[in-house]
Amino acid sequence: MSEPTETSDAPAVTDRRGAYVRRVLADHAVHAAVVVAFALYPIVYTVLGQTPLGSEFEVFLPRVHAMVAVLYIGLFAMSFDFISGYTGYLSFGHALFYGSGAYLVVLTATDKVPLLGPDTPFMLLILVAGLVAVALALAVGAVSFRLSGVYFAMITLGFAEVAHVFIRNWDHVGSNPRDGASIGAAGDAFAVGVPGIDALQVGIGRLVGDEFGDVFGIGVEFGTAEVSYYAIGAVVLVCYLLMQRIIHSPFGRVMIAIRENEERARAVGYDVFRFKLAAFAISGFFAGVAGALFAGYRRTVAPGNTFDLFFTAEALLAAIVGGFGTLAGPLFGYLFNASVEGVLSTEPHGIARYLRDVLSESTLSAGAGGVTVADVINVLVDGRADLYLGIVFILFVLYVPRGILGTLRDRLGGHVADRLPERVRSRFRGRNE
Amino acid sequence: MSGDPPALELDGVHSYYGESHVLRGVDLSVETGENVALVGRNGVGKTTTLRSILGLTPPREGTVRIDGEDVTGEPTHEIARRGVGWVPEERRMFKHLSVEENLRVATPPGSDVSKRVQEALDAFPALRDHVDREAGDLSGGQQQMVAIARVLVGDNDLLLVDEPSEGLAPLIVEEVVDALGTLAEDVTLLLVEQNFPMAMDLTDRFYLLDQGKVVETGDSNAASRDDETIRRYLSA
Amino acid sequence: MTDAAVLSVVDVLVDLLEPTTLVRILLDALSKSALYVLIASGLSLIFGLMGVLNFAHGSLTMLGAYLGGAVMVALVSGSTSEPVQLLLFFVAIAATFAALTLLGGAVEMTLIRPIYDREPLFQILLTFGLVLVLDELARIAVELYGLQPRSDWQAALGTAPGFLSSRYTVAGVTTRGLYLFEVLIGALVVAAIWAFLTRTRYGLYIRSGSEDSEMTRALGIDVRRTFTVVFGLGSGLAGLAGVVLMWDPRFGASVPLSVETLLVAFVVVIIGGLGSFRGTVVAAGVVGLTDALMTWLFINHVDFAGLPEMVTFLVLVAVLIVRPQGLYGIAEVGGH
Repeated sequence: MSEPTETSDAPAVTDRRGAYVRRVLADHAVHAAVVVAFALYPIVYTVLGQTPLGSEFEVFLPRVHAMVAVLYIGLFAMSFDFISGYTGYLSFGHALFYGSGAYLVVLTATDKVPLLGPDTPFMLLILVAGLVAVALALAVGAVSFRLSGVYFAMITLGFAEVAHVFIRNWDHVGSNPRDGASIGAAGDAFAVGVPGIDALQVGIGRLVGDEFGDVFGIGVEFGTAEVSYYAIGAVVLVCYLLMQRIIHSPFGRVMIAIRENEERARAVGYDVFRFKLAAFAISGFFAGVAGALFAGYRRTVAPGNTFDLFFTAEALLAAIVGGFGTLAGPLFGYLFNASVEGVLSTEPHGIARYLRDVLSESTLSAGAGGVTVADVINVLVDGRADLYLGIVFILFVLYVPRGILGTLRDRLGGHVADRLPERVRSRFRGRNE
Repeated sequence: MSGDPPALELDGVHSYYGESHVLRGVDLSVETGENVALVGRNGVGKTTTLRSILGLTPPREGTVRIDGEDVTGEPTHEIARRGVGWVPEERRMFKHLSVEENLRVATPPGSDVSKRVQEALDAFPALRDHVDREAGDLSGGQQQMVAIARVLVGDNDLLLVDEPSEGLAPLIVEEVVDALGTLAEDVTLLLVEQNFPMAMDLTDRFYLLDQGKVVETGDSNAASRDDETIRRYLSA
Repeated sequence: MTDAAVLSVVDVLVDLLEPTTLVRILLDALSKSALYVLIASGLSLIFGLMGVLNFAHGSLTMLGAYLGGAVMVALVSGSTSEPVQLLLFFVAIAATFAALTLLGGAVEMTLIRPIYDREPLFQILLTFGLVLVLDELARIAVELYGLQPRSDWQAALGTAPGFLSSRYTVAGVTTRGLYLFEVLIGALVVAAIWAFLTRTRYGLYIRSGSEDSEMTRALGIDVRRTFTVVFGLGSGLAGLAGVVLMWDPRFGASVPLSVETLLVAFVVVIIGGLGSFRGTVVAAGVVGLTDALMTWLFINHVDFAGLPEMVTFLVLVAVLIVRPQGLYGIAEVGGH
């Protein structure tokens, strides 16, 4: 297309352009709203923290540091949903891809990976982490997709456990591989942005990342957590949009056809094995990227928070709460889980500490039958997130099987991103008339 | 006689297999002691009709009555306990259970198990030599006999028999027909069978099913393959 | 390099074929297989009949270990004689079995029954939620009791009678009395389950239901009710295994026992094949032998601590690739 010139059809072109922009905006209105909400969160959090109810907000709102984890684990959960929610094949060994991405980053930084030096740009590392995961997914998928149902879940779990046991005992990783490996605060921060151009990238990491002073002159300082949050958020957003594009492409429609009725999809002439394998590889790619982001931010990895079955379970929980087969749902699901974990945390910002600080000594020691309020707090509140998440999870499975986003979709009669703006518009029109 | 309700009655039954609408309003009725054939091309809903009676594919619309009682929506095992015996397509042996165990599992609780098993074996003496073998190791004909014997050991007076001759050698088919013929004298029978002459031979009356509906009914003795209507609905 | 590798393989073989080595490995394999069959048999019955892969199985074993331990710690004192200790152990087994059978039955009726009609995925998910709840409840109870949830419960380990903790020499190899005792318990439980499955009407229903649930219902059998019974019994068996592990210093009562035994149970049941108790018994033998061989190899020749566990999972993967229905699987593998 050549640039429009000042001719008679100029108004028409602008009009068409305007229509296009409006359509894109309308299509992505909800996406844009979510992105804006996430972007404003650190600022809102800081502002609310300064209000008289500041300590209450700090108990109930996740800290920005925790929100960074929501982003990369949310991405992991979305990648899990990409394969499990859209093709119906439960990838119970998904932690394998996340773990390999995470270990790749840490091992590269400690110069333990052949061909990749410790000064490899992080953006390249993210890509390599994704590609390593793709290779693993192709290898695992090539044999696993001959099975289905529970057997597919079991064989992928088997592969992940082999890797889990291996990484826990591989002394190349460090002197005590069971504790994982760590880069420490000594080296440079991993940079997100355009490699090689300092002005166009920022360092992430809680201790070593970049920070900025009072950016907007409104008393909001951007510390390392905030900077990492935006940098990692940008990568996660790109990944989400890519996955969303794939889901809405003809390829994605075949994935859903496989979930709905694999026999029919095959009968129609699709090579379902190849589609499943490709979907698995794509899903693995984003899980690998998520692992790399995690390692880049935390600079330390351990078998328990990477390759573990219970790490896959995080994604599963997030997917159920957020909505299986909704792509964005698991991110919200994990946001919910992380919030519950944050509130019930034993750390200073948890509700247990808060209650102990706020309640008077007499209230804390009050009670019946030798059980005091303080005991109840210690036993049933402090660090008990798993208990309540487990109960919430069971209730979701029983009563809200489609999850938050899935149920919203059912109510609205289509994708939230499509339907919500329509609803809002029709409301407005209704009122105007 | 006229006061007795029919042994089996279907009234406007609609059933689905997944999302596809298989039965589109089946009406039929079988009097007590009557032997009735259900014929039609492949895929017109004969097997689904039997499954709907048993509640295995519960009807979404319409009613199924057994001895005048509405059983629609009842769980399968309760319908079966009303004396409904099913000899399914492809026989559905418990392949890893012995022949004797296949029979024992079908005896009602509290009944004299060994007596009933012996009676069933008396009806099929050929099975006697194989009581301890795993049913999966038997020939197709022997398996068919076990499947029939299995409905004999229960207190069944309404038998739903699905394609008993399928996949069997002609000589074996004759044996099976003999067994069914003897059996049919004492019970009510609804028989699904591709082999038209055999079906007519064993029954008093027939229903012709097409596209999920009864399109024709008549006397089995008078029915002929050459009949215009029957030929139209049976030829593929 | 290659020569050295060949040489060391020869070394290992020469070493392995030493008679005492073989006996030692076989004894180890036998005791491990006995534990594995205990751990897996309940899951095998449940998975075989209902197709529900119960993720909470390991948690039930863990609960059983603590419950059994609690009974023993409460009843055994310094003056209890050894035969009485053994007798009390069987009391603990009976009490734990009963308690967990009831719990399992209740779980089936209230939580699992409403979702049979959904995809199997949801049953996996639901039992997974149970893992979180049960493990956290155990952690709460254990901490209230003043114990560390992550380390083995020493007081419970200490209730084993002296003659089980002592060592005995069998065919030139020294072994703990406890390991031989475990073999005995394993054999008894296998025999009891076998008799239940083949000699009782309920056992017959379970076997026919495992093969063809629909046909079984059409014969007038309330398969759903057998589900409750089987889920209860399977849970009871999981608890029974826990009581036995509570005495074993290689395991011991701790909250992480739940995941440890869950993975073992999965491996054994999948290798054995869906719906075949015989398969489960054979698979427990295969996994026990693999474990024993690899443990020996690790101690003597290969410097990689994860060897036994890793090879066990490799066997799982290999079996699923070569023979997805398992060694003796009777149900079709495939559709959801």
